[in-house]
Amino acid sequence: MGLCICRDWILKKRDSVSSQRDLDNDHPRSTRDPQLESQLRRSLRIHRNAFRAMRSNAMLPEGDHVIDHLVLDTPNMIRTYLDFGTQLPPSMIRIHAFAETERGWIYVIKSMIKNIPIENPLGSAAILLLLDECPIPTKESVNKLTSRLNLKNSSIKSSKALIRHRNICVMLGSLAERLAGPNSIAILTPTVLKYLLSNLNTKNNPLIILFSLIALEKFAQTSENKLTIHKRIQSLPENPLLILEKWIDDPDYDRQQVGFCAQWSLDNIFIHEDRPFSYENVDRKNLNVLLNANDVSEYLKISPNGLIARCDSASFESVRCTFQVDEGIWYYEVTIITSGVMQIGFATKSSRFLNHEGHGIGDDEYSIAYDGCRQLIWHEAHPYQFKHGSWKQGDILGCLLDLVNLKIIFSLNGVAMPPVNHVFQNAVKGFFAGASLMSFQECIFNFGREPFKYPPSGINFKCFNDYANPTEEEKIIYPRFIILKNLHKSSLRDDCCTLCCENVADIMLLPCRHDGFCFKCANMLELCPMCRLCIDERVQQESAVAEEDDSNEAMNPEHNDTSTPIEQDLH
Amino acid sequence: MSALPRRIIKETQRLMAEPVPGISAVPDEHNARYFHVVVAGPEGSPFDGGVFKLELFLPEEYPMSAPKVRFMTKIYHPNIDKLGRICLDILKDKWSPALQIRTVLLSIQALLSAPNPDDPLANDVAEQWKVNETEAIKTARDWTRLYAMQ
Repeated sequence: MGLCICRDWILKKRDSVSSQRDLDNDHPRSTRDPQLESQLRRSLRIHRNAFRAMRSNAMLPEGDHVIDHLVLDTPNMIRTYLDFGTQLPPSMIRIHAFAETERGWIYVIKSMIKNIPIENPLGSAAILLLLDECPIPTKESVNKLTSRLNLKNSSIKSSKALIRHRNICVMLGSLAERLAGPNSIAILTPTVLKYLLSNLNTKNNPLIILFSLIALEKFAQTSENKLTIHKRIQSLPENPLLILEKWIDDPDYDRQQVGFCAQWSLDNIFIHEDRPFSYENVDRKNLNVLLNANDVSEYLKISPNGLIARCDSASFESVRCTFQVDEGIWYYEVTIITSGVMQIGFATKSSRFLNHEGHGIGDDEYSIAYDGCRQLIWHEAHPYQFKHGSWKQGDILGCLLDLVNLKIIFSLNGVAMPPVNHVFQNAVKGFFAGASLMSFQECIFNFGREPFKYPPSGINFKCFNDYANPTEEEKIIYPRFIILKNLHKSSLRDDCCTLCCENVADIMLLPCRHDGFCFKCANMLELCPMCRLCIDERVQQESAVAEEDDSNEAMNPEHNDTSTPIEQDLH
Repeated sequence: MSALPRRIIKETQRLMAEPVPGISAVPDEHNARYFHVVVAGPEGSPFDGGVFKLELFLPEEYPMSAPKVRFMTKIYHPNIDKLGRICLDILKDKWSPALQIRTVLLSIQALLSAPNPDDPLANDVAEQWKVNETEAIKTARDWTRLYAMQ
C-alpha cells in the first residue's frame, strides 16, 4: 500500500486524535509475510513501551524527550508501517496530540528540524507527512516559530547545520502548502524570502537548494506570495532559476533534481519572459513512448520530454505510460534518482489512482509494482518481501512483463528477483508501464529510446519505444496551466446530463419522474439525486435522442459507447 | 491530470461567471480539482467580520461522491474540529450528485450561521456550546478576531 496521509481526507480517522484508545487498539493489517509482520509488531511494541514508561512516570503529558524520540523514529516508522491508507501509526497520533498547544506545536516543529536525519531517504517526506496532520497552528505560533529560527545560512558547514537547514526548508515548504492563504503570506516574511532566495546560490549544498526551490514553489500556491517571489526573482541581477535549470543533465543526482525543479518552476510558476517554454525545445526524435500527461494523478510532475516523473506533494502520485501492450515479452528500465518510496511496475487501465488515499500502482488487483526502498513487491495492496538491500540513487530497476509465460520479473542493477504472476489472475492484456511516487521522489523512465543498461539476457523481449507510433502533437507535454486555460474556455452543449455534463440527458427516473440524466449516470444511482426517492425504473425520453453533435464526439470518445447500448435496447 | 470531466469544467465556468455572494472559490491553476475557497463569516453570527480560508477538492469519483472540504483557518465551531474537518451531512451520507460546489459552500456558510452542537465533530466545543452558549459564542468571536481577521 502506498503511503499517503493526506489532507482530509481522513474523515475516517475523525477520532484519531484521542491517542490512548487508538494506541491500544491499533494493529497494522496483517500481511502475508511473517517476517514483515514481526518487524511491524516490534516497531509498534517499541512505541507502546515508550508510552507506558512515560505514563507510569507521572500523570504528565508527553515529555519533550519522548517526542524527540518519536520524531526521530518517524522516517523508520513510515518505512515499516503499511497501513497508512486506513489509519495513522500510533506514534504519529501522539505527536499530533502533543502539537495541540502552541508550545507543543512549536516544539514538534523544532524537534523535526533538529532530529530528522538527512541521509534517510524518507526524512523529508516524514516532515511533510507529520506536518500535514498536525492541528492547524495559529498565526502567532507560526510567527513565533519563524522568528526563533534564526534564518541565516552563512554557516552551513557542519553536518549538523546542513541537517538543520535542509529540514527548515522542507518545513517551510510544508507549512506554506498546509496553510495556503493568509497564513502562508504571514510566514513569507522578508527574512524568510531572503533566506530561501539566498539558499539558491549554486555554492550551497544541492539539497538545501532543492528544498528551498520546492518551498518557494509551495509558497507560490498563494497568489500574493507568487507575485512577491516573482518580483524579487526578477529584481535579482541574474535569475537563479535560469542558472539552476542547467543542472538537469548533471551527473550528480541531487543536482539533477535541482535542475528538474528549477525547470518546472520556470515552465509552470515563475515564468521568465524571454525564456521559451521547455516543451518548445524538446528533441523528440525517436521519442515514441512517454509518461501519459492525460493519465496521471493531479500533482505528479512530468518532464517536458515525458520521461521523468517527480512528486513533491504530500499525496501518492501515479502515472501510466502512453503505450499499451497486449501480448509478447516487454522490458523497460527506470533510473532511481531518489531512494525513497516509489512503486514501479505495470498496470492496466482498470487500476485506479487514488492519490489522496495513498493508493497507486500495486495497490489493486489490476497492477503490480516493486518498491525498492522497502524492498516489497506490491499487488492488491499486499506486500511481498524480497531481501536484497534497499535501492540507491542511480540504481537501475528493470521491469520485464512476459505475457507469453505469464510472469513478471523485476531486477535491480541486473540482479533478477523471483518471478511473480499474481496480477494475471485478473488481467492478461492491456498493460502499461506505471509508477506511483511518494513525496520528494523522482525517477527516469527508459522505454528503449536509449540502450538498456541491463537487458535481460537470453530473453527475446520487445521494447515499447520500437512499437509505438504517436503523432507529433501527442508527444507534447504542455505546462498544466496552459491545458487548464484551454479547457476552461471550451463550451458545453445545453442538453447534456446534469450530473456528468458528458452525455445527452435522456433518462427519466420512476416513480419520481425527475429527469435530466444520462443512461450511464442514472445506472450508477440508487436514489434520485433530486428527491432521494428509491429508483424503480429508468426510462428513456424520446425527445432528447434526436440529434448527436459531431463536434462534441471528437472530444468525448466515450460518448458513443455509452449511448449505443440503450438505443439497441429500445429498438 | 486525467481528462477533466465536463461537469467540473461547467461548474468552474459558472462559479467564475456568477460567484456566490460572500464566497470566493477559485480553481488552482495547476489542479482543476482543487479550489481555493474563502468564506466571509455571515452577518449576525459570531464569525461576522472574519474571513475563513478553506480548501475544496473534487475526488476522482465526483460527482458520484462528495467534494472534500476543510477549513484552513482556525475556527471555534461545534461542527468543525481542530484539523479543520467539517461535520456536515451533505458531505457524507446525505451527498447527492445533484449538489454542486456552489451548494456545498452555501451549506457551509449556513453552518456558520447555525452551529449544531447536537451533531458535533469537536466534542469539547459542542459541550461548551450546550452548557454555556453565551460563553461559547464569545469564544467563537474571540477566535474570529484572533485568527480570521487580517
